[in-house]
Amino acid sequence: MKLRVVLWSLAAVFAAVVMAAGANAQDASPVRGGAIVASWGGQEPSALFVPAGGPASSAMTATKVLERLVKMESDLSFSSVLALSVKPSGDFKQYTIEVRPGVKWHDGRDFTAEDVAFSAMDYWKPIAVGVAFRGLKSAEVVGPHTVIMTFDTPMPEFAFKSHLADWALVIPKHIYGKGDIATNPANNKLVGTGPFKLKTWVRGSHVEYERNTEYWNKKLPYLDRLIIRYWRDPASRSAALEAGELDIATFNPVPATDIPRLTSTGNIVATKDGYKNSAWILSMEFNSRRDIMAKPEVRRALLHAIDRRFIASTIYYNLAKPGVAPTVSSNSIFFTDAVQAFDYDKAKAASMLDAAGYPVKSGVRFGVNLVVPAWFADNVKVGQYLKQALEDVNLGVNLVVADRPTALKRIYSDYDFDIALSNIPQTIEPIPVVTRSYTTDSILKGVPFRNANGYSNPVVDKLVESMAVETNPEKRKAIAVEFSQIVTKDAPYLVLMEIESVTLARSGVKNHSNSANFMNESWGDLWIKRN
Amino acid sequence: MSRPQLSKYKEMEHLRGPELGSQTVKRILLRRLLQLGPLLVAVIVLNFLLIQAAPGTFLDIMTAEQQVTDQETVERLRATYGMDQPAYIQLMKYIWAVVQLDLGYSYRHNAPVFDVIMAHLPATLLLMLAAISVSVVIGVLAGVIAALKVNTFWDGAVSFLAVFFYSAPSFWLGIMLTVLFSVKLGWLPVGGMQSVLLEGGGFVRALDILKHLVLPALALGLFYAATYARVTRASMLEVSRLEFVRTARAKGLGQRRIIFAHILRNALLPVVTLLGLQLGTVLGGSVVIEAVYSWPGIGSLLFDSVMSRNFPVVIGVMVLSAFLVAIINISVDLIYVKLDPRIRFN
Repeated sequence: MKLRVVLWSLAAVFAAVVMAAGANAQDASPVRGGAIVASWGGQEPSALFVPAGGPASSAMTATKVLERLVKMESDLSFSSVLALSVKPSGDFKQYTIEVRPGVKWHDGRDFTAEDVAFSAMDYWKPIAVGVAFRGLKSAEVVGPHTVIMTFDTPMPEFAFKSHLADWALVIPKHIYGKGDIATNPANNKLVGTGPFKLKTWVRGSHVEYERNTEYWNKKLPYLDRLIIRYWRDPASRSAALEAGELDIATFNPVPATDIPRLTSTGNIVATKDGYKNSAWILSMEFNSRRDIMAKPEVRRALLHAIDRRFIASTIYYNLAKPGVAPTVSSNSIFFTDAVQAFDYDKAKAASMLDAAGYPVKSGVRFGVNLVVPAWFADNVKVGQYLKQALEDVNLGVNLVVADRPTALKRIYSDYDFDIALSNIPQTIEPIPVVTRSYTTDSILKGVPFRNANGYSNPVVDKLVESMAVETNPEKRKAIAVEFSQIVTKDAPYLVLMEIESVTLARSGVKNHSNSANFMNESWGDLWIKRN
Repeated sequence: MSRPQLSKYKEMEHLRGPELGSQTVKRILLRRLLQLGPLLVAVIVLNFLLIQAAPGTFLDIMTAEQQVTDQETVERLRATYGMDQPAYIQLMKYIWAVVQLDLGYSYRHNAPVFDVIMAHLPATLLLMLAAISVSVVIGVLAGVIAALKVNTFWDGAVSFLAVFFYSAPSFWLGIMLTVLFSVKLGWLPVGGMQSVLLEGGGFVRALDILKHLVLPALALGLFYAATYARVTRASMLEVSRLEFVRTARAKGLGQRRIIFAHILRNALLPVVTLLGLQLGTVLGGSVVIEAVYSWPGIGSLLFDSVMSRNFPVVIGVMVLSAFLVAIINISVDLIYVKLDPRIRFN
């Protein structure tokens, strides 16, 4: 009886999500005016703009005001925002950027190529993009609306535009030119070029934006007001959606079990679109500083002991998929499934462990510390499952569920774990987001979300280096495949689960979930049909 | 109630002891304020040690959120946050700053701690006062009814409801109230402190905030109302058997007068004691209710700050809360004296 209920709800979640994908087609006649109340599956940011990128919540609030040069669309192509064109030179060491003329900052000053050059050298290279722009030599203003960015080594076009579209926000030189960008008071009083101007921030409650009447795209924004409001509790978000107080909420705002009920009325739609360039994963890594975990054959054996389909259906209510390769399967450019697979097979896992030299002695092969960060509630449940699954192949498992600071310290500063779970959002471009969990130069003690497993393989390092400067898209893909095959087989770190994010919206909300990272777009084209 | 009886009562007033003298009030105030200083220092030291003892540091959180890519930046941040110095020096510096009325700077919020807290404190105060009022009014009334109709259906009903609200987890009660009054009936808003889309002047806004306040104040207040109801009932029953009540009856006072002026007034002392004790817990309980109702108070700020080991904010909240609770406790002491002039605090 109970099982049947569960199965029916799973089917309903699935059906709702599939239906929503169709319901989200572009509407032909946008309506100007009105207000939308938005939210997301997390909390209020501590600051509206954290220049380094920071928590997802700050990224959401900042990107409604600050714009980028280009935008990544759902089909992974690029469209122009503040740049009219971005053209590489023949050797891909130079990019000529034509910026949009006639754009004004929210304080009335003109936006020019100077702002772009300043952002590139003083903000993107040292803070926002970081490692990927390490080879950026100069950003030269050659005309009021033209900038030439020069690199030491070739910069692949897709990688370059991806970084521009990801977190290369253009910030005003006249405001950020003096002092430390990270602590500039303007970070809580944003001045940008975007479709919305910051109106107020009522701490603890909401951030309110108003229409930028001087926006460079005269048709946009459609909305007069945009409010991003915070509910601290998923059940309250469900209630707010149902009561009509919330119009759109991104990034798994409600408990997965509520989705069928909410969508069954037809007033609310659910969609998985809009997360391709911010695909969250649950990662699992083995500490190769520990003698037993250092052996690839042990790591491979343990992977066979884990039933990832069970995790997907029981813990994530099918809003997750088993991971296959170091890149997620929604990454249509760099994903490959031509890698070693680790099917669930307990007997095989046991015999592989025997063969590796760890037979069962008085009930136990060996003991491991499994460190699980509790920042996502689902992580804890996966941790509890993994403890059982590994105990089934006679490991002694000490499950450590750690809050955020504890987990960061244990995993990334103290390297005090045998097996650790963690989460990151993957971008389409694998360098550096995917590769920095494997490369030797990413073993940085005390720096979170880098190579904590200690894996160091000169072949892999070489591959990543050559991919960073390879400008031919086909050859890049070939290198990515080779990289995927090696690190999947060695298994120091892997995508245990691909987490699928869901956006819920009232059916009157149009033009949402229509880009590769919708949550961090400016939402100028968002509109609402009120009945 | 006839006039001669009232005047007779007035004449007897002097028998109840001297009026509450201004001397007494001053003494109580002075003593309590003197006790406040060591209390605040203790709060600072204790919380500082607790945060130091917790695994992981503010630096770990900030390097994760700032997406720091190299160790030099980590070291630079460590110096910026003052975490390159030994813990006792950090503590001394902090206490010295608080003495100068400076609660420090929150790098996570990019704003002074005092400003951050002040943005959240009014909401918490409002919720706290509303919840206390709800609990005292409902609890005492229910207790009086139960005591008067002892061992009847009403007594049983009050006892049942008291046990129910006492044992129902406040977050569950909060969600259930929301489902009923906001989702099903649509009478009250789901959460927050104000309607974000509302246009209008002061009166409209005040009414709007009041509407948002109803459910959180009930969810938080009913738990405490349950205790007050039980205590009031027991205390009323005890006092009603005392001799002065029999005297009051014998001299022919009206029932209402006996209940409110003689029994209830004396029965209130344990309730006030409880109130003073529970003020601190109301502040703590509001963390949960603030989460359920997205109430923009310091509860959520405190939770977030503990989770990020942001000790200037944690200690700042604690210092201000301790200050607040101490001030309210002083008022409770004054209410004591008012209720029972025999109390002298010698």
